[in-house]
Amino acid sequence: MRQDPTIRDFQTDSVTREIIRGKLLAVADEMGVVLKRSSMSPVIYEVLDFACGFCDANGDLVAQMNGITVFTGAFSIQVNVIRRKFADQLRPGDIYMLNNPFDGGTHYNDVGIVKPIFVDGELFAFAISISHWTDVGGKAPGSLPADATEIYQEGICFPGVVLFKEGVRQDAIFDMVEANVRIPKMALGDLNASLASVRIADKRCQELCGKYGKDAVAETFRHTLESSERVSRAAVAALPDGVYEAKDWIDGDGISEERFPTRVAVRIEGEEMTFDFTGSCAQLAGPVNCTRSALVASVKTVFKAIVDPQTPSNEGWFRPMKVVAPEGTVFTAERPAPVGWYYEGTAQASELAWKALASIAPERMSAGSANSLCVTVLGGIDRARENEPWVMIEPSMVGWGAIDERDGNCVTSAIPNGDTFNYSVELLEAKFPVRVREYALNTEYGVGAGRHRGGYGSIREYEVLADDTVLSASYGRSVERPWGMADGEEGSCNFFDLHLDQDTQRKSRAPTTLMQRGDRIRMVTGGGGGHGDPFERPAALVADEVRAGYLTAAQARDDYGVVIRADGREIDQAETERLRTGVAR
Amino acid sequence: MGRLATDIGGTFTDLVYFEEASGELKTAKSLTTPGDLTEGVFDTIASAGLAPEAIAFFVHGGTTVINAITERKGARTALLTTAGFRDVLEIARGNRPDLYNLRFEKERPFVPRLLRFEVGERLDALGNVLLPLEMRDLDAAVARCEEEQVEALAVLFLHSYVNPVHEAQAAAYLREKLPRVAVTASHEITREWREYERASTTVLNAYVQPIVERYFERLEGALAGRGIDCPLFAMQSNGGTTSFGWAKAHPVTLIESGPAAGCNGAAIAGEVCGEPSVIYLDIGGTTAKCSTIEDARPRVTTEYRLEYSRTQFGYPLRIPVVDIVEIGAGGGSIAWFDQAGLLKVGPASAGADPGPACYGRGGTEPTVTDAKLVAGVLNPENFAGGRVKLDAGRARAAMQKIADGLGTSIEAAAVAIMRTVNANMINALKLVSIQRGHDPRDFALVVGGGGGAMHGAALGRELGVKEIIVPLYPGLFSAWGMLATEPRCDLMQTALVRADEVSAREVRDRFDELTAEAERYFEDFQSNDGIALRFETSVDLRYLGQEHSVTVPVAPEAAEMDQILADFHAAHQRQYTFRLDDTPVEFVTYRLTAVANVARPRLRALNGQGRSLERAEKPPRDIDFVDDGRHTARVFDRNRLPAEAVIDGPLVIEEPTATTVVHPDQRLRVDAQGFLRITEGAERGGAPE
Repeated sequence: MRQDPTIRDFQTDSVTREIIRGKLLAVADEMGVVLKRSSMSPVIYEVLDFACGFCDANGDLVAQMNGITVFTGAFSIQVNVIRRKFADQLRPGDIYMLNNPFDGGTHYNDVGIVKPIFVDGELFAFAISISHWTDVGGKAPGSLPADATEIYQEGICFPGVVLFKEGVRQDAIFDMVEANVRIPKMALGDLNASLASVRIADKRCQELCGKYGKDAVAETFRHTLESSERVSRAAVAALPDGVYEAKDWIDGDGISEERFPTRVAVRIEGEEMTFDFTGSCAQLAGPVNCTRSALVASVKTVFKAIVDPQTPSNEGWFRPMKVVAPEGTVFTAERPAPVGWYYEGTAQASELAWKALASIAPERMSAGSANSLCVTVLGGIDRARENEPWVMIEPSMVGWGAIDERDGNCVTSAIPNGDTFNYSVELLEAKFPVRVREYALNTEYGVGAGRHRGGYGSIREYEVLADDTVLSASYGRSVERPWGMADGEEGSCNFFDLHLDQDTQRKSRAPTTLMQRGDRIRMVTGGGGGHGDPFERPAALVADEVRAGYLTAAQARDDYGVVIRADGREIDQAETERLRTGVAR
Repeated sequence: MGRLATDIGGTFTDLVYFEEASGELKTAKSLTTPGDLTEGVFDTIASAGLAPEAIAFFVHGGTTVINAITERKGARTALLTTAGFRDVLEIARGNRPDLYNLRFEKERPFVPRLLRFEVGERLDALGNVLLPLEMRDLDAAVARCEEEQVEALAVLFLHSYVNPVHEAQAAAYLREKLPRVAVTASHEITREWREYERASTTVLNAYVQPIVERYFERLEGALAGRGIDCPLFAMQSNGGTTSFGWAKAHPVTLIESGPAAGCNGAAIAGEVCGEPSVIYLDIGGTTAKCSTIEDARPRVTTEYRLEYSRTQFGYPLRIPVVDIVEIGAGGGSIAWFDQAGLLKVGPASAGADPGPACYGRGGTEPTVTDAKLVAGVLNPENFAGGRVKLDAGRARAAMQKIADGLGTSIEAAAVAIMRTVNANMINALKLVSIQRGHDPRDFALVVGGGGGAMHGAALGRELGVKEIIVPLYPGLFSAWGMLATEPRCDLMQTALVRADEVSAREVRDRFDELTAEAERYFEDFQSNDGIALRFETSVDLRYLGQEHSVTVPVAPEAAEMDQILADFHAAHQRQYTFRLDDTPVEFVTYRLTAVANVARPRLRALNGQGRSLERAEKPPRDIDFVDDGRHTARVFDRNRLPAEAVIDGPLVIEEPTATTVVHPDQRLRVDAQGFLRITEGAERGGAPE
């Protein structure tokens, strides 16, 4: 077989390597299937708030499933925490657990399970899964109080602890989990599912080495990383050297409604790209901060989008990427800063990088989206169901920005969240004391107009059916609108209306708030930015969208210069012509 | 008396007839007639010379449904939902499988917002009525449907999977008020929860229903008009058949009928050859489809998603479908240059009409078939049994455009097209094998369709399979598979109850109900008296708190609670590495598959009469083997090859509906049944003939 001449000294032929690589991807996918199917919490089996991957003995990620990109981006960092901390104490049959945001993690809810894999008595690889536990204790059900001021209010920390030592269950840790979380059954159920996923990876790895020899598998790891690195370096080298900057605002932190500045300078020098977040605000009092590991993971998402969006990801791709930021910023928070809503920080960091690079890689980019996870947490005691404690955590989907050849996507998961799903209404009503009154496109507040318009966000309204339901919610991008591209207009913002008894409040962040039976929350996510001059959008298309109820006739006129006759159907050609060619907007 | 199978493909209509008494097979193939598909069916019946009274059983499959959907040529379809939820299709699940692509494109809904209507009504998750059905809203929807000239209407109300009362009421009313509109209510097509998935399934059913209904009615009428009055069966995507009546109301279940039949055929072919692990590749005129079969059973799943890929979620269809991957690459695929000047082949296809340039029916675009003719692979006199004469001059003329673009000869252009289409097919094959963690070296490649035998040897070599199997009548393989297909129905009933509240008695009662339902289903068949039904029964169980369940086979008459639970714990441990003995277990769904026993056509050993290598050999010809160079190849007539003949490549085997290519350094063996078995390494394989 022909060898790739640019890569040195491989003994294994390229076909065998490709087969092994395919098997590694299948192992990562199988880990995900096992975790999802054996899990006990809707946020895992329905929303898919988890990810699984497979790393080599150095901790470098070689295969991942489709999942949360902030998790997959943190895999190598997490595995390296375990490698560093336990070094020569790692043994076959060991399994570790960690969730410390200040050392490799994201927030306490995201619990990593790491299994070192030994082949012929030698450390050979690591399997890792990270999943979002519904509750890890702390101040509020769901462990995400929007008004947290210290990490201690956000639950329990596992700073890299051993769960199984040479196959022996460490009961003390399980007891600690049970004693510290609100729904132990669910937490232990999900822990079991995570354990299953790393065990299946070990089993498959043994089969793989048995069939092809461990040298061939190890070579495949190395080849995968090296060839990805090479493509990645070439892609960066093809971009013009220079410094590209972007600025943005964080709209409130849950404690204050102030706006906080963030910025990035992306330096491209030859084959390397450095993302420098110096100049972003200091860590905030509220929980929208993220830590360095989450920052690096969030930058990886955009870096991969630039260099090669579709080839399977691994650590090799990221070798030409550097992230710089001083300690103690909103992106590099230090203990005891709260980080519960860290994904607001990572969404912001990803989008800064995206915005900075949009001008030099427009063919890989879109206009801005209503980029926030818009997470709502509801919980309490369900008296109708044997007084079961319940917690529902739900990210909302948002409108995405338009691109140069088509409209933006409607209601799609925000950048840090990758391949996650919304809750099925039928499933949600069956599991939680909540009734969904509406789930529709947000045509009320619209999208950024453009030759190609932004995608619509959604309106989702819940009525709570249980007294003393505890709400906490925190939506970003509630003031600063999603940016337009190439003369496209800005999109719209995220917020929610809270109807408590007779009172209605519009908010974007709610600290722990009590709701009673019949109270409602109407969650509104924004539309994406437009691309291109709205006056260039075909008038017939605008008229169709008026008929279909995406736009009002007034919006068609004001935003697109298209005049619809009183019958609501026909275009007034003369008047449209006059508006579109006449006065500047 | 015998059994007849007909299969309409994008390009050809195929027929296989099995004479029950003699075990003789008859075949025919003709061009598909897109104007009126039934014409092609009768063309094949006529050319096989079958008398109407000889046909005791008629099974039919085709691409009507999938073509209407992939070409977006279905009916003008509206969707009626519970008030507040009309955007369910456009919102979908909001997921983004193309993780790092900021320009990812979400699937477009099959119903535009203009045609999405709402009606006041509401149930809760237990099926209790919260708000009555608002008849005024229904009337408004009727008016809108008339105004917009809607042809099909899907109805999706929340929680109808638990209690279909409002959906059924609305559907009845709408059918009365809109007699010309095809109405599908979601509970009629799937009883699974999750409103988006059910909506997607229902809408696709409505989208194709007017087309399928018209087509089956025409076919029934035409069959009756010609004196064919035997039971009529439609091939379904689940690998079984059903009555025409049922198919007309549930047309989306026909979506993968051809591939499902092919998978059945491939499983049987693998079994006959002692190869339980099979990669099946079917290459037709428009598409190539592939599937992996383990333990001689095609995988059937309800997780089918139309137009799914690793980076695209696709459209969910919650109906049982064989697990296949399909790409737009076939004999009719057109070669073209993209904006960057790169050579591409497909997905656009010349189809049957006008067809490839060499058919001489007005096609001028260069296709894969034209390239094969130029390269010498196809014999212009032997195509479709010699009934379609291929015109090499027209093929070369069409190929000129590609030669000019590449700055090469016409011959080199043909090779470039073959190389490009092979690469596309290899990618699809890798998707079902390597990327799912299978090692192709453990599998045999079974090829079918008009083009499978022509591409099989090259693809099998590149994939590294154990051997390549060209079954009998590869060009009619789906029809052949249909003959061996049995009427089947998959029934299930969801009943969430904790295991400690379930008795063995109850389990038996549930299965008795399902059995009765299956028997009612088969009563509707205008069928042979007293079909013997075979049942497969299982229960889905899970640990309390889980969403997903594990399926455990249960024999109802011998059901013991302890045994069911023990089987569940063990199955859970096998699949997920752990068991939770202290966690309560929940019964979720009772499943019953009922299959009507139909004897499989028994393959006979090749008749030795008139067969020998000498008699089979035809004049050699020069053929371009792409990566393996240009060679003078021996040519044989398959119908004269004797059993156990062994010949080394390069060579070509011709039969009326297919051309098998064997590359240099490959060895061909004809087995006892007449299957062609191709393996690598002619030089190592003992003494040459």
